[in-house]
Parts: sequence; C-alpha cells; structure tokens
Amino acid sequence: MSRYPLRRLLHAVLIVAGISVISFFFLHLTGDPVGLILPQDATREQIETLRRDLRLDEPILAQYLHFVTSALQGDMGRSIYTREPVLGLILERLPATLELALTALALSLVIAIPMGVIAALRRGGWLDTISMTLALFGLSMPHFWLGIMLIMLFSVQLNWLPTSGRGTWEQLIMPSVALGASLVALFARLTRSAMLEVLGQDYVRTARAKGLSETMVVGKHALRNALIPLVTVAAMEFGFLLGGAVIIETVFAWPGVGRLIVQSILDRDYPVVQAAVMMLAIVFVVVNLAVDLLYTWLDPNISLGRTDK
Amino acid sequence: MSFLSGKAKVLLGAMSLAVWAGAAAAESRTLIVVQSAEPVGLDAMQNNLQHSLNVAFNIIDRLFEPLEDGGVAPGLAASWEFPDDQTLVVRMKPGLTFHNGEPVNAEAVRYSFDRLVSADLASPHAGRMSQIESARVVDDLTIEFKTKAPFAPILHLMSYYLPIVPPKATAAMEKDAFNRAPIGAGPYKLESWDRGGDVVLTAFDGYWGDKPGYDRVIFRSIPEESARVASFLAGESGIVEGISVRSQKTIEKSGKGSLTDSMGVMPYVGLNTLEGPFTDERVRQAVNYAVNRQLINDALFNGRGILAAGPISPRTFGADLSLKPYPHDPAKAKALLAEAGFPNGFETTLSYPTNMTQVGEQAQAIAADLEQVGIKVTLQPLDRAVMWDGYKSRKFQMYIYWWDDNPEPDRYMYSLFNSASRDYYYKNADTDAILNLGRSTLARDERARIYGEIDRKLYAEAPWLYLYIVPETYAVAKDVAYTGRRDGFLFARFAKPATP
Repeated sequence: MSRYPLRRLLHAVLIVAGISVISFFFLHLTGDPVGLILPQDATREQIETLRRDLRLDEPILAQYLHFVTSALQGDMGRSIYTREPVLGLILERLPATLELALTALALSLVIAIPMGVIAALRRGGWLDTISMTLALFGLSMPHFWLGIMLIMLFSVQLNWLPTSGRGTWEQLIMPSVALGASLVALFARLTRSAMLEVLGQDYVRTARAKGLSETMVVGKHALRNALIPLVTVAAMEFGFLLGGAVIIETVFAWPGVGRLIVQSILDRDYPVVQAAVMMLAIVFVVVNLAVDLLYTWLDPNISLGRTDK
Repeated sequence: MSFLSGKAKVLLGAMSLAVWAGAAAAESRTLIVVQSAEPVGLDAMQNNLQHSLNVAFNIIDRLFEPLEDGGVAPGLAASWEFPDDQTLVVRMKPGLTFHNGEPVNAEAVRYSFDRLVSADLASPHAGRMSQIESARVVDDLTIEFKTKAPFAPILHLMSYYLPIVPPKATAAMEKDAFNRAPIGAGPYKLESWDRGGDVVLTAFDGYWGDKPGYDRVIFRSIPEESARVASFLAGESGIVEGISVRSQKTIEKSGKGSLTDSMGVMPYVGLNTLEGPFTDERVRQAVNYAVNRQLINDALFNGRGILAAGPISPRTFGADLSLKPYPHDPAKAKALLAEAGFPNGFETTLSYPTNMTQVGEQAQAIAADLEQVGIKVTLQPLDRAVMWDGYKSRKFQMYIYWWDDNPEPDRYMYSLFNSASRDYYYKNADTDAILNLGRSTLARDERARIYGEIDRKLYAEAPWLYLYIVPETYAVAKDVAYTGRRDGFLFARFAKPATP
C-alpha cells in the first residue's frame, strides 16, 4: 500500500514533464514571433538582433534544454513583449482566476445539492423531471454562448449588472454563473443518484424506523453519506474549471490567467504561454493526486493499483 | 419600495434624483474607452501595438504633433529649421515640466533619443530612427539632430516614435517598471493600471496645450466583440474600438451613439513577380482587371471603403489622383492571359493571415472572380505567425497582407517596394532609385511629384492586385464628441463631452 502514493507521484511528475515537451514543441512549430513584435517597417538588423536575443536562431532542442534547465532553477523566462519575469505575470493574474473558479464551484454546489436531493426525494415526480431537464440544459449550453446571453439579458436589456471587468461582487455574478452552469448539471445528477442509493440503505430505514423526522433522516444520515463521492468529483472538476475559465475570462474581460493565455497565444509570447500552461497543468495534477490519495485514505476498501487481491 | 410610505417614497425619489444629478455631473468628465486588447505596456518607446500606443501617447508627448496630412505641428517643440539638408535644429517651448516636475529641455530630448536607439532597450522604433546619426544639446532649449543622409520623413516619424521621457526618473527605474508606470509630459498622467483591468489617466495641469475635455480617461479592454458592443449598448462606455461591419448596424439602430472612421487599413494581394506565372506583367494586370473590387467593397464593407488605383493611398500626398482603379473587365483579363500564354488559365494558391478583418470573405470573393477568367485559386488561411514565416521564406504565389493607410508615403512604399527593405516577391532597381530619391528630397512639392511617378510606374507594373482602403470603425456614445483619426491613434484630449 505504501508504494501506491509513490507511484502516483512518479506518474504526476511524468505527466508534467510530458506536457512541458508537447507544449514547448507545438508552440514553437506555430511560427516566428519576431514579425509580430517588430513593426512592419522594422529594419533587417532589428529583426536579426531580436532573433538572437530570443535565441530563435538556435536549434529547437537547444532552446528546449535551455528552458528546462532554467525552469528547474525556478526561472520560467521573461515575456518577449514586456520583458517581465513570466512567473510574476502569472502569479499576478492567479488570484482572479481562483476567485472565479472557486465562486463558480461554490455556486454550482449550492444550487446543485438541493436540486439533486429534491429530485431524489421526489423521484419520477414533476420536480425531478424539471430539475433534471434544467440540469441537462446547463450541461448542453456552451459556456461562451451562455455568457453572451447573460450579458444581453442582464446588462443590455435590464441594465442590472455590468457587462465585464472585476472588482465588485456584481461583476462576479455572470462569469461565475456561466462557468458553473455545466457543473450544476453534473453535480445535481450525481447528488440525485448518490441520494437514491443511500436512501435505499438499511441504516436509513433504521433511522426512519426509530421515528426520526424526515429532515433528520435526509439531512443527517442520507445526505452526509451521499456527499462523499460529490466532494471527490468536485475537487477533480476544479481543474476543468480552470480550463473553462480561459473562455469565460475572455467573454467577460476577467483579468485572470485564462485571458493572459489567450492573448499570449495570439501574440506568440512563448514564455508566458509555456509557463501558464505548466502552471495550470501542475495545479490540475496536484489536485488530482491529492484527491486520489485522500480517497484511498478515506476509504481503505478502494485499493487502487492492486490487482493481486 | 412598497414597504415605504408615500411621503418616504417622494423623499427618496428626490434624494436619488439629486444623487443622480451629482453623479452625472461628475461622470460627464470621465471618458471610458473600450479597446479589444489590453495594452502590453505603457512606455511609448517599448511598445508598437496600437492598443498600447493608444494609451501611451496620451501620457508621453513628442516634439511634434502629427497632422492628418502627413505634416506636423509644434508639440513640446516651439519651432524648428533645417540649416542644411542633413541637420534639424529644434527649439523647445520654455518652462514645461514632466508629470514628476523634471524640466522638459534639450537634455531630456537627447536622453530620450539615446535611450530609444540603445541596444539595451531594443525599442521596436529603433529602426525608424536609424537614419538619425546623433542628437546634440546646443543650449538648454535647443537640440540638433544630424541625419546620415537627407531624410524627409524625419518630422513625421518623430511626431510618433520619439517619445520624450524625463531623464532622472526614467534612468532610476528598471525598463519593465517604466513600462508599467511611465512618466511623460503628455496631456494625461497615469493614475493607476490594474493589469488585466482598467488603465486610469488623469489630466495633467502642466500640459502645454488646451485643457482636455475630460478630467479622467479610463481605458478598458474587452476582447470579445459581442461583449464590447454590449458594453456600448448598456451605456457603460464612451468610445469603443474594434466595431466590425457585422456590428455597425446594431450600433446605428440602437440610437446610443454613432460610428466614426478611424485609421484606414490597406489590404492588398501581393503577387510573386520573381517566380511562377506572375512574373509576366500581363498576368498581373489580368488579375487586376478580373476582380470586382467595387462589389467586394459594397458587399463586405457597406461601401465604406475607398478603391485603390495604385500602391499609394488616394488620401496620401504623392498619389497620382488621375489614375483610376482598374475597371472590372473579365474579357480584357482573359485576353491578357491568352497573350501571356495562359489561354486556359492556371492554378495557384492565395495565402492570407486569419487575424485580418473579414479576410476569409475577401479571399473567397477574389478567388471567385479569378475563377471566372480561368485562374483556379486554392485558398490557404494561415495563422498570423505562420503567415509571416511563409511570407519571408518566399513561399507564396499570391498573398493577402495589409498596411495602415499612412499619411507619409515613404512609410510603406520604402518598406514594401525597396529591395533594401524587402525583396521577397519584388525587386526593381529603378523603383529602388525613385524611392531613395523620395525619402531624401526635403521639399514637399518635389516629393509629391516623385511619389506620383512611382505610383504610375507600379500601377502599370501591377506587382499587387490593388484593392481598397477600409476604415476601422469606432462607436462613439451620444454624450461624447469625438472624430476618429486617420492615423488610428486615440488622442483622448480631442474628445469632448457633448450634449446628447
């Protein structure tokens, strides 16, 4: 059993290394940023100098090795536009992305859990049908489209909420709803099925038989147990939220890492894209790793990776 | 408010009205400008992208003010003269200071010039100043520039690309710190820049010119166009950049404001005159006869474009206005192709960068017209960085690119047609000689004659399929008076509050 965490850790390192290779080479295959940085009327001398400065005249393998050795020493390079250390640029944007992703996560849980519980308690009834249909809508709507629709309705037509930006709580509402909508669907369905399973268990029947109120039965005995799988999935979905934030941040001009990535890809600001992708990959891998380990610890019945049982 | 009594309602109503009136008075002096991208940095020396310079030029002033006809007016300079054709002497306005109190003098200009051309800064504008050999302080308010050869565009270039910065403060800051929080002598000073969010500028009391119409200007960026338009429709913004043809009608119908044309973009189809079928002048002319540019202009740009005859924009001095755009004449195109040995046409590829506005539609329309005369075109959309690689590597037969509709002909003519600058698809010794003469002749009338000559020459040679000049469009709210500039830059001091 003790070898399991070690192996998972090794996996995680391999994944991060693999992502660094793929993102580095793909990025560099997509063209030379020099023509984008310099004006159209730049002199040839200017172009040559910049290529040398950015090491673009070196073979790509040498560039990659340079990147890896610097990165291992904690130097992710500098933006080729602003020449600022990349790490600072990303850390500066990270709080905004985390704020958005966490709010979206919290919001979706707050909406989804009651929905799922009600649906489970009224299984087959009209409340069940309605909430599951709504959930399906949330799941099928692209983030992007939902975001624009929210803006058209709440900002342009009703004038209730500002269209974009960050700073006030009003500005947080639409982006987190747009980002969290698909999770509501996922979580609500998950809660519903977990609740249905739990409600059929003997201890729930026992609780009812003891004459406990329905609120106690559902709230204390059933829901608590049903929430275990939900917590796991929610933690894992957090990584996907960071990915989804790339699009939502662009729609709502939210000053997070996602928008930085999109703009940097367009500008071919390799070091920034590279570092941001690595950062998201690491967050993703770490969260997954933590959840996996937590899960095995919480529930020793699950002995992942052992087949000799 | 149903829980309030009638009296309370009236009172509250009156209060909110008063608050509203007060807010309106305060807000009317704040201008919110929405751009499609955030500035990369705010040091006018370290940045070249439009979205960055649109903000930076409001903070950092230059010696001269650019005029729409390619000329200049005094800026920080009071007057100037050319004692000989390689010397420019500039006298500064006395008593001016930068935002931080440092004096604006000849030493500041010298420092700024040296900083701009220094290898350490690697300014994108260094090449634009490469004809200037030295800057020498004559006295406190007089500075002398020497050029390597007579160089006519010098004033025009300096009016944008020689931003004057305070020596002490600038030298004390790391260049990336200055790029985040620059100091200049412009009409606005930087109040704050919350990166990813707003750039806030406030009017500078010591500015030499008229007091700007707005005390504060906020530059905001919204990358997604529908969200940008929504912010305009919701009344959140005064000036919105990046309004595509698709959104123009929405803005016009909304009654919230109007459209103003900003910089023109000059798209063109470059032809490979050095290799393949387009080496024959008749084939190149045939292409020019084959395409119905008026129809494209009407269909794609609501007819707002200006048709181009030759390479020089008809709005730019030096353009030969007697040249008429090639008429749409497929029969003549076919005849020319047959004469050139292509009676059945040929196959070719049209490459274009996908980041250009409506470029896909333009490429399709051009390909369809060429198909009519027997030229079968395969479209090749490319990401802009890949496009640039292919362009430099001489990989293209036909390619769409663009230049801004610049008021100074040397800017694009030299860059695109002089083989000292680019020789990827066109190289001609006579053209080089005429263009060299154009930039080394100081008298404007004489220059106009020289550029007229090159305009006629290239009209006939047709190294490009000439297209049109398409204005970029800004939306301007009803309570803002602002007219877009031909150079495309957003000088906020020209915006004034208006009574709707």
